Amino acid sequence: MGVVIAVISGKGGVGKTTTTANVGLGVALNNHKCVVVDFDIGQRNLDMILGLENRVVFDMIQVMEEEVGLKQALIKSKINENLYFLAASQTKDKSVLHSDKIKKLINSLSEEFDYVILDAPAGIESGYEHTIEFADRAIIVVNPEVSSIRDADRAIGILDSKSQRVKDGKEVMKYLIINRIDAKMVQNGEMLTSEDILDILSIPLIGKIPEDKGIIEASNQGKPIIMDKNSSAGQAYERIASRLCGNQIEMHDIEVADTSFFEKIKEMFK
Amino acid sequence: MMFPWFKKKGSAKTAKDRLTIAIMSDRQNTNSFPFMDEMKAEIIEVVKKYIGVKAIEIKKEVDGEVEALSIDVQLDKKD
Repeated sequence: MGVVIAVISGKGGVGKTTTTANVGLGVALNNHKCVVVDFDIGQRNLDMILGLENRVVFDMIQVMEEEVGLKQALIKSKINENLYFLAASQTKDKSVLHSDKIKKLINSLSEEFDYVILDAPAGIESGYEHTIEFADRAIIVVNPEVSSIRDADRAIGILDSKSQRVKDGKEVMKYLIINRIDAKMVQNGEMLTSEDILDILSIPLIGKIPEDKGIIEASNQGKPIIMDKNSSAGQAYERIASRLCGNQIEMHDIEVADTSFFEKIKEMFK
Repeated sequence: MMFPWFKKKGSAKTAKDRLTIAIMSDRQNTNSFPFMDEMKAEIIEVVKKYIGVKAIEIKKEVDGEVEALSIDVQLDKKD
């Protein structure tokens, strides 16, 4: 049985889908069979980030309703043969989600794959509770910004009360990703440090991702940024995926601004 | 910035202080016990044996160092 990981956040727009795509691809690059599932019913996005929007024929609701087989609906990534994708439905609304059907779908996925990664809707939406219900672990994505962190705390609260594992007396392992860190702002005391955020949320950190303009470029092209070996965000995702696979990778201090001589000169003329 | 010594103090500290307070109060207001729904159902069952129950509300109250649960049992009015 593979491990089921829900990628969650409190509010939307913090980089959940980007994280799902990159971590999924990263896990596949580590030679594990991985499937990423878009659980954000009605707001299909993961297909675009993965560059697979033209390949979607069937969605996960059709699989749950047994209109099509799982094998028919799974889309193989062009980038890595270990990575598969299951699309969200765009037409149906979230009320079609039912616990027993979700459980069945997740069970059959975890029989096929080593890692099943679920891209959840934002924590305040109704589909969220269903996404986390059968997850073994959760990745919580936050931005270093007050509303994102406050809402994440609420989403964690819901996770702790609705998860099947918690109801069974087991624990849901939680990992925090702090996304869109601006080193300069942190250095100037204008942005919360990762230590501040860990103090407040008290869940273990799995990685910090710097603000990177390349993310837009990557999504424009439908190529997850982890493919760009020179990108700082891509490298951060690579480390996170590796940690998720159980490798010991040291935490990089991306909050220290670039203090090279050239950067200092540039700064003076700003 | 040309003259960093004129710069005003960063706002990260303010953010942390405000967040800490907001989250503390959020956590108190939500029933953060995972067993709350089941406990509610069981209490209703027990009280029901003797009198009719319409609804039940359980709130966590924090007064300084003391934490307490207040349980409001709304009785079913006999007509």
